[in-house]
Amino acid sequence: MNAIEIRNLSKSFRGLYAVDNLNMTVPVGAIYGFIGENGSGKSTTEKLVCGHLVPDGGEIKLFGRDYTDAGVRVRVGALIENAGCFPSSSVYQNLMMQAINLGIADREGEINRVLKIVRMEDSAHIKFKSCSLGMKQRIGIAMALLGSPALLILDEPINGLDTDGMRIMREILVDITKTYGCTVLISSHILGELEKIATHYGIIRQGKMIMELSAKEMESRARIFTSLKTENMRGAFTLLKEKFHSVREEEGYLRVYDIDDTETIVEYLYKKGYVVSEVKKNKIGLEEYYIEIMSGKGE
Amino acid sequence: MENSRELKFESPSFITRIKGMLGVDFYRLFHTPLFYIFLGIAAIIPAMLIAMTGMSGPNGEPSTPLFTNVWQAIAADTPIYGFEGIEKYANMNMVFIFGGIMVSIFIGHDYKSGYVKQLFTTHAKKEDYMISKSLTCAFAMACMCITYLFGAVVAGLLTKTSFSVNVGNLVCAILGKVVMSLGWASLYTFLNIIFRRYFGVSIASSFFFGTGVLVIGVGSIVGNTPLLNFFLYGSSVFACLTSTLLNVIVCLIVSVAWAGIYITVGSHILSKSDVY
Repeated sequence: MNAIEIRNLSKSFRGLYAVDNLNMTVPVGAIYGFIGENGSGKSTTEKLVCGHLVPDGGEIKLFGRDYTDAGVRVRVGALIENAGCFPSSSVYQNLMMQAINLGIADREGEINRVLKIVRMEDSAHIKFKSCSLGMKQRIGIAMALLGSPALLILDEPINGLDTDGMRIMREILVDITKTYGCTVLISSHILGELEKIATHYGIIRQGKMIMELSAKEMESRARIFTSLKTENMRGAFTLLKEKFHSVREEEGYLRVYDIDDTETIVEYLYKKGYVVSEVKKNKIGLEEYYIEIMSGKGE
Repeated sequence: MENSRELKFESPSFITRIKGMLGVDFYRLFHTPLFYIFLGIAAIIPAMLIAMTGMSGPNGEPSTPLFTNVWQAIAADTPIYGFEGIEKYANMNMVFIFGGIMVSIFIGHDYKSGYVKQLFTTHAKKEDYMISKSLTCAFAMACMCITYLFGAVVAGLLTKTSFSVNVGNLVCAILGKVVMSLGWASLYTFLNIIFRRYFGVSIASSFFFGTGVLVIGVGSIVGNTPLLNFFLYGSSVFACLTSTLLNVIVCLIVSVAWAGIYITVGSHILSKSDVY
């Protein structure tokens, strides 16, 4: 059973398709990193799954049921764009309202539980409007976590946060995904952060899903490369191009792709009279892989 | 921690859903100042109207009293639908105008804050939202009717205005007005759903319909016809100081019927359109 199964989903705004025949599969228990540039349709897809937008066509199933089914919806928590709290009410009051809506029996206990998860036990009685952006995002996550959701949908939860806010948010996300084990659909621009927690990825462009893969698949597809520096970069580049299949000059280094043996490269250059001053072996990360895919260089 | 085999999805019943939604709305109503401010406004309006009746003119001459009796601030002596002087309109029906503004702010905050997203992400259905908002706001307006009554009585006592009335007729008039709260609340909920993206338009439309200007206009042309009781403003006027149980029943039927229509149409529109 999949937590989310989307088939041929479409949504247009004034004739422009924000989501265009999108297919998507999120397995139960996955932490699904939803990646795409601005305006690619990530938020629209999430809003459609949350029932905030009415699709033009297609099918959305959550845990094998129609997404409008109240039984499945009661197990969905979401943070879309903002926390959706009343600014003049306290953090506690906002959480209390959602706890009442969800019909939670031990509301006090549940509110304390989620506040603890988002490290805000001492801020329950602060008015929402007095909270910082980072706190507001954490309250949004606390709202989404009420009632132990089976599916958590987070739209750019890290966006706009400072370094400290990002660190706390990452800790919370790791905590949620590892300790509470619900399926998470998370979109983020900060791919380095996403890479630390995601088990699956979906890459969307112009409203269409262009690739879905697991973290393991990504790992196996991720190319290894050797970065090196010499005094004569231009000459070395020409030389390496003659011998090796894929060579690029990036970020002040020469990169030789798909060659596991660094010594072979260094020895080859040395024999040709080039002294390598710096050498390191790397594997491309999610961010670079994503850039390669988007630029059409990737597989 | 649940695994995929243990995941359970029990559909909450309509009663459970509506209980949750009503719980949220009433919690919010009692925990924010909006409701109390409007209760205060409802109490001040009749007090001001009655106090004005005892005021003197600029040269000390006695002014023409707006009301000769405190209860005229609650309801008109007889149902008059067309325009016949401000004193026929300055009564408890004004609660429905201010109530409309309160409903606009109450629902507008749902959308402005984004809280409505939280509601619709979970099990809440669009009809639950319409029903809950209509009932909560009807309760708020009914409470405003009560504080309006208190304001009138206190002002009447202070200004020593006459209290003579047939108690049975008065009770029927007040009951008639109170039951009309449901119809008015559902109309305002409906208007706020239609204009949910335009807060200013929501308030303006609530005010426009609340004044009953359409019925007054028709009443001025066609005269006092009971057919106008089919409309919310008509029935609200019908709850007058000569009311009997029949007037209360008419008000109840009209109020519930319009509430049903507005809730049904509003739920349909909500379910066929984007939340924002």
